[in-house]
Amino acid sequence: MNLNLLSYAIFFPSMLLIAMGVARTCHRNGRVWMLRIFDNDAELVDAVNNVLLVGCYTVNIGYLALVTSAWTHIETWPQMLGMLSQRIAIILFSLAGLHYNNIAVLLIWSRIKHRVTTDAHRPSTTT
Amino acid sequence: MTNKIVLTYLFYLPLALGLTLYVARTLFRNARVFMLDIFKGKEDIALATNRLFEVGFYLLNVGYALLILKVDADHSDVFNSDQHVVETLASKLGGFALYLGGMLFLNLYLFFRGRRKSRQNMTPPTVPVVAAPAR
Repeated sequence: MNLNLLSYAIFFPSMLLIAMGVARTCHRNGRVWMLRIFDNDAELVDAVNNVLLVGCYTVNIGYLALVTSAWTHIETWPQMLGMLSQRIAIILFSLAGLHYNNIAVLLIWSRIKHRVTTDAHRPSTTT
Repeated sequence: MTNKIVLTYLFYLPLALGLTLYVARTLFRNARVFMLDIFKGKEDIALATNRLFEVGFYLLNVGYALLILKVDADHSDVFNSDQHVVETLASKLGGFALYLGGMLFLNLYLFFRGRRKSRQNMTPPTVPVVAAPAR
């Protein structure tokens, strides 16, 4: 039994499920934030959101596939479990980093946007 | 050995081309909104431009997918196990998907840029029109 192939078969589908789940959660819950950012232009927001979802899928799946190759030769079961948990941990940490980065971008962008618009709409007192 | 390489190609081609098709279709279905914005609602021009960009996207990415198709296994009997097939497929498709994601975000950026420029042009210019040089 080729343990390398077995660990690829465990690693890739499970990480794929998690990455797609995270992407879909961002897609669902990011919409409200983007509506705030793009002045409630629902058509534009949905277009951008869908393109971002597909971009998220391609980049995440591409990275996953890229790291599902060239593992060192695995000979024993304990070695396989150790290797798998280490690789999975790396992927989960990177997903977490991307996720918090997404949240930060949305927060900062909407804050900047709203500061600018409230400044612009503030009635001028200098008459 | 040769059979394994052919097997890799047989898996690689449909997957890479299918991925390109999926990404391009999603991108340009949603690009309609941007194009209509950029061309200020002139639907025929917007849709035509969208279609032209879509064809360009296909050409570029299918070309790149075919360019990186070749498996380098000149040393005999190196490429002879299923593990090699899986690893080569994973690294090639993974690299291609990352590239495709980059192209997708680049296109999205260009759409946003076009939209911003067309918005800027819509507002009356603040700079006074330069008078024609006196003869």
